[in-house]
Amino acid sequence: VQSAASILIVDDHDGFRTFARGMLEAAGFTVAEAATGAEAAETARSVRPGLVLLDIQLPDFDGFEVARRLAAQAEEAAQAGEAARAGGPVIVLTSTRDASDYGGRISSSPAAGFLPKDQLSGAALRRFLTPP
Amino acid sequence: MSRRSLTGLIAAAVAATAGYFLVARPPGISSYLVFYLGTPAVAAAFLAAGIAAWLRWPSSRLGLLFSLVGYLTLLPALDYLNDAAGFTIGNAAVPLAGAALAHLGLAWPTGRLRSRFERGVVLAEYACAVGFSLLGMLFWDPAFSGCDASCPANLLLVHGSRAAWDAVNEASAAANVVLTVIVVILIVRHWRSARGWSRRAMAPLVWIALVIGAESLVTDVTGLYRLPPMANLIFNGWAPLVTVLGPVLFVISAIRARTARGALGTAIVDLEPGAPPGRLRDTLARALGDSTLQLAFRGADGFTDTAGLAVDPAQPDPGRAVVELTGAQEAVLVYDAGLDLEPHLVRLTAAAASMALEHSRLQAEVQAQLELVRASRARIVEAGDAERRRLERDLHDGAQQRLVTLTLALGMARSRVAGVDPELEALIEAAGKEAKEALTELRELARGIHPAVLTETGLAGAVQALVERSPTVVEITEVPRERFPAMIEATAYFVVSEALANVAKHARADTAQVSIRRLPGRLAVQVSDDGAGGVDGTRLARGSGLAGLADRVASAGGVLRVDSPPGAGTRLEADIPCP
Repeated sequence: VQSAASILIVDDHDGFRTFARGMLEAAGFTVAEAATGAEAAETARSVRPGLVLLDIQLPDFDGFEVARRLAAQAEEAAQAGEAARAGGPVIVLTSTRDASDYGGRISSSPAAGFLPKDQLSGAALRRFLTPP
Repeated sequence: MSRRSLTGLIAAAVAATAGYFLVARPPGISSYLVFYLGTPAVAAAFLAAGIAAWLRWPSSRLGLLFSLVGYLTLLPALDYLNDAAGFTIGNAAVPLAGAALAHLGLAWPTGRLRSRFERGVVLAEYACAVGFSLLGMLFWDPAFSGCDASCPANLLLVHGSRAAWDAVNEASAAANVVLTVIVVILIVRHWRSARGWSRRAMAPLVWIALVIGAESLVTDVTGLYRLPPMANLIFNGWAPLVTVLGPVLFVISAIRARTARGALGTAIVDLEPGAPPGRLRDTLARALGDSTLQLAFRGADGFTDTAGLAVDPAQPDPGRAVVELTGAQEAVLVYDAGLDLEPHLVRLTAAAASMALEHSRLQAEVQAQLELVRASRARIVEAGDAERRRLERDLHDGAQQRLVTLTLALGMARSRVAGVDPELEALIEAAGKEAKEALTELRELARGIHPAVLTETGLAGAVQALVERSPTVVEITEVPRERFPAMIEATAYFVVSEALANVAKHARADTAQVSIRRLPGRLAVQVSDDGAGGVDGTRLARGSGLAGLADRVASAGGVLRVDSPPGAGTRLEADIPCP
């Protein structure tokens, strides 16, 4: 069952994943990890996270491509009648660069938004899960 | 020719002409004065042409032939001597000058006779002149020609017989007519078969030969009849003077050579640098007056001329001659052998051709080197761009990533000690703040090294990001959404970036406008503001930021312009070639 409190961290940087997991678990989230775009799609299918924290720079596909695939995956699942909830996971793009370095690409992607890595916190992610 | 031989030749010519006046008696009838004065004038002209030809063409027989005609023209004056020997020789020598003139005509313009047949014709000319003359003298009693007893005796006279003398004269005239016709036909044939320089050299001779030939025929025929005095004066007094046209031939050829020399100089000056070899050949051929001129270069299969014909410099065709050109390229000129009479002209042509080819080669070399430098400059800039992209990515993947992780770790550590150890908590919070500031600074540094947004989104996104960060109000009027080669995008980006930075720093402008237009074959970047203007356009050439930018645009093959009238804003334009 998809849990709003479950988060999939997609990042090829082990150190970041470890600390992000520690921080988010401490904030009460269930955390799964993926190191590549392909792994992310796989894990998202099995874990069904409520939110995917998606690094833009990945070794195989970039974050925008992974976001597109995750969205397409959710669409397919909905059409197949597996819709246990409306829509797929909330996708939050992240990077050590800031949003302006990606111009309009963030707003035109299926992601809900962008969070610079250094501003990551449980509270910041919760704002994406419960939009005003 | 040595000064001594020259002096000797001149002295001989002057002495012969002066001698004529010493021995020749002015005619009793004044209308024959023209003959009396015309003969030495014609002779002097030939003698002068002979000396000049000797000087001009030392290796040719033309000097000898001109001189021979001159001396033989004077020789009959011996009959004025009140002496039987002189009288006999003078009368016998009358037809010799005509034979030498035929020899000269057939040997023009090289001085050499062309075939055994022609040598036979010339031999026949001399043989007829001498033979018929001597034969006639055997029967000629000077009284037949109205000479009274005061005339010296004809030493050769064997038996005075008017009938025999008339018969010899008729036979001589008939032989002369035949030989004259043959000589004129041969000269016309020489002209028709000649090409290039030789044909031009032959052309005046044809006219002169026709005139002198006609005169000779008339004299031969009319000499057989007793003519009224006026007709006799015209045919035997005036007409022979047309032989003065012989030396004119020499003058024409000297003028031709001089003109060709001048034309060559002018042609080389007028020839545009780097003209193709075909054009060089045409120019030289025209200036030289040798339409057969060939310019040939050594290729893999031997020499080939500019028209693509194979040429063998070792064995030129008959009537052709070869001169090698100097310079890095192995090349030859193949020309009409008639030009060998003008070796200085050949040398001048070869030097001009060598110089023009060398000039073209050097120009092509410089052009090629310039292309290499241009290409290498573009590569250096591209390599620099690639290096900056790599540096930015390394910072992003390495130091920035580690600082982020450090920030997270510090955040976790702070939450662990929260409420337990306030002092430690404050310390960790301060460390976290430092780490975040370091991260911000590093991010700015990375962006300065290379804007990731340009790689990520191309010009549209990158210019948008620049505009958003600019303190001035900037309007983007046009920017293509398509992607371009990295070098072009980076160049256009740096133009906009530097221009907006200048607007913010110096222009005191309220607003600015950015436009990047995709035009056929190029990208036109323009940044304008409504500020103070007055930017010195010459700064493009000096070590300012603008000069660096101009270099950067030039390395992409483009041009940067600044238009900044004082008080009327500044417009920076860059035209960047774009496939």
